Amino acid sequence: MTFEIDINGRTRAVSIERAAGSGLFHVTVDGRAHLVDATRIGDYGLSLLVDGEAAVSREISVAPAGGRGELLIAMDGRAVPASVNARRTGRAIADAGGHAHGDQPVVAPMPGRVVRLLVAVGDEVAARQGVVVVEAMKMENELRSPKAGRIKEVAVTPGMSVESGRVLVIVE
Amino acid sequence: MKILIANRGEIAVRVIRACREMVLPTVAVFSDCDRDARHVREADQAVHIGPSDAARSYLRVEAIIDAARRSGADAVHPGYGFLAENAGFARACGDAGLTFIGPSPDAICRMGSKTGARQAAVRAGVPVVPGTEEPFDASVPDDAIARVAADIGYPLVVKAVAGGGGKGMRIVADATDLSAAIRTARSEAGSAFGDSAVYLERRILHPRHVEVQLLGDHHGTVIPFAERECSIQRRHQKVVEESPSLAVSPELRARMTEAAAAVARSVDYTNAGTIEFLLDGDGSFYFLEMNTRLQVEHPVTEMVTSIDLVQWQIRIARGERLDIDPVRAVTPHGHAIECRIYAEDPDEGFMPSPGLIRGLRPASGPGIRDDGGVSAGYDVPVYYDSMIAKLVAWAATRDETIARMSRALGEYQVLGIRTTIPFFLWLMRQPEYREGRYDTTYLDRLLADRRVNGTSFSELSDEDGELAAIAAGVDAFLRASAGVTGSPERRQSTRWKQAARREALR
Repeated sequence: MTFEIDINGRTRAVSIERAAGSGLFHVTVDGRAHLVDATRIGDYGLSLLVDGEAAVSREISVAPAGGRGELLIAMDGRAVPASVNARRTGRAIADAGGHAHGDQPVVAPMPGRVVRLLVAVGDEVAARQGVVVVEAMKMENELRSPKAGRIKEVAVTPGMSVESGRVLVIVE
Repeated sequence: MKILIANRGEIAVRVIRACREMVLPTVAVFSDCDRDARHVREADQAVHIGPSDAARSYLRVEAIIDAARRSGADAVHPGYGFLAENAGFARACGDAGLTFIGPSPDAICRMGSKTGARQAAVRAGVPVVPGTEEPFDASVPDDAIARVAADIGYPLVVKAVAGGGGKGMRIVADATDLSAAIRTARSEAGSAFGDSAVYLERRILHPRHVEVQLLGDHHGTVIPFAERECSIQRRHQKVVEESPSLAVSPELRARMTEAAAAVARSVDYTNAGTIEFLLDGDGSFYFLEMNTRLQVEHPVTEMVTSIDLVQWQIRIARGERLDIDPVRAVTPHGHAIECRIYAEDPDEGFMPSPGLIRGLRPASGPGIRDDGGVSAGYDVPVYYDSMIAKLVAWAATRDETIARMSRALGEYQVLGIRTTIPFFLWLMRQPEYREGRYDTTYLDRLLADRRVNGTSFSELSDEDGELAAIAAGVDAFLRASAGVTGSPERRQSTRWKQAARREALR
């Protein structure tokens, strides 16, 4: 099987087949071949022994996060966003340099209240520049532009209560 | 004594643990979305108090009092947040015949007011940040304020009496900017709080936030503890705390703890409280405010003194005498650091990251304490503060504590949601943090610099990225294969069935 795996915005081609022996796999990452001994730990964990004799031993978990096919890889305390086979999220695209095309909405990630707008219609914005501040879970959260572009529409005003998923600002 | 805990999450679990150790029965309260929360399961009894919205559950005084009555509780521990510093709640508990495990309503009222607390400190002979004692209402002309400003000295801060959260606050570098600052502070405060009165305060340039925990009993004894340093703040919110402070010598500790105890004694303070100070670079310190409750960072004090503050809160409320050795309380043994683990995405400006926790394996081992409030399978709700655990490390020296904290953060596994763990791992590596060269502005400056670069706190080396790709690939392969042989859940149930069959065969 071959997968296109995106980790922290970088895509790698990974092909996998079972090798002779229990739990052994031939794994190729961007052309580099590895012999991997993999064992499931719980529902999401994997214990990996990579490359034979002096095997590197790592525990890595791959768990779904959010509802959009996004995965989070947990590794030594770090949490790395990933996706398999081009289920790329807006975030992965923004992380890759903000080359998303077309109109991109900035949506409320959870119910909250609009505290202030950091941009107006017509403003030029950079990728990941803050555009609107929403208060939720007792904290003010700055939501950022998914791409570099121009503010096409501002759909809310300060003080407004917004539901999860509500479009706040559109970047073109 | 049966204790109702008027709170949720990790602090409710923390209080329940203290009660268990004292063999006291506990009552949890919960809102709609907290039916499956950990504090409900760990208490002996649990009472539903209303909808998920805190204003209609955890903040409703009558609902809590009613829950205490229905469950037969005779004392209430407020934890922190929610009703912990609400004098009306403390009074209502007393009126209902319940012991409130905290200070008296009068003490909460008096020390909860910024100007009231400041006046108490001045009367106790404790330095406050130089500034005006009486506010200037809208009728006071700017030139009269300017004369007072010249006495205080620049730079200074114009603050709204009714202000908070940075609103109605202006920093003034010199006399020429004063009028404009007064105008904007007045107008902001007028529209936000309906009160345009302002006062002036000297601006302390690179302050450290150092605070003194204390306990007071009902027999006139007040005992201060070795200080906590809480200068690692993001937007005025503490995120990492430690004890002792690198900036506090034994001689300074003696002066600060004595000053804190003097303020508390002057208002006949009882139970747990904390006096917060700003510590200037030259070693002078100023009273900032008093928190009339237990604090999130109380474990670092517990770790370096081996004194259980929550158990003492309960004992004091029962009328017991404080018999802690005062010397031991101000003599830190080793070093402790606490990281507040939030369900937030540090790579997205610390945006809350609620959702389903698919797996949880807290750190453990030597010198590690996990004050957790969640468990695997729990959906972190959007309604409340998003702190899911306090991770505390203790070791003989600060360097060893940082090494131990880094080890523990690497061990800590939270699957399915983002947390601030990767940010703490990064912070523990920063040279300024490791060397203790920081003040309250350090973290915001550091994060602002980082933001320009825009890299993730969870950045991987090429080798680690390759290993992560192998893991994601193997995971996808196994799931695709399992599509034929069954999901992980089905495999699990099959294993249980097999185990059951084996049992049946014996």
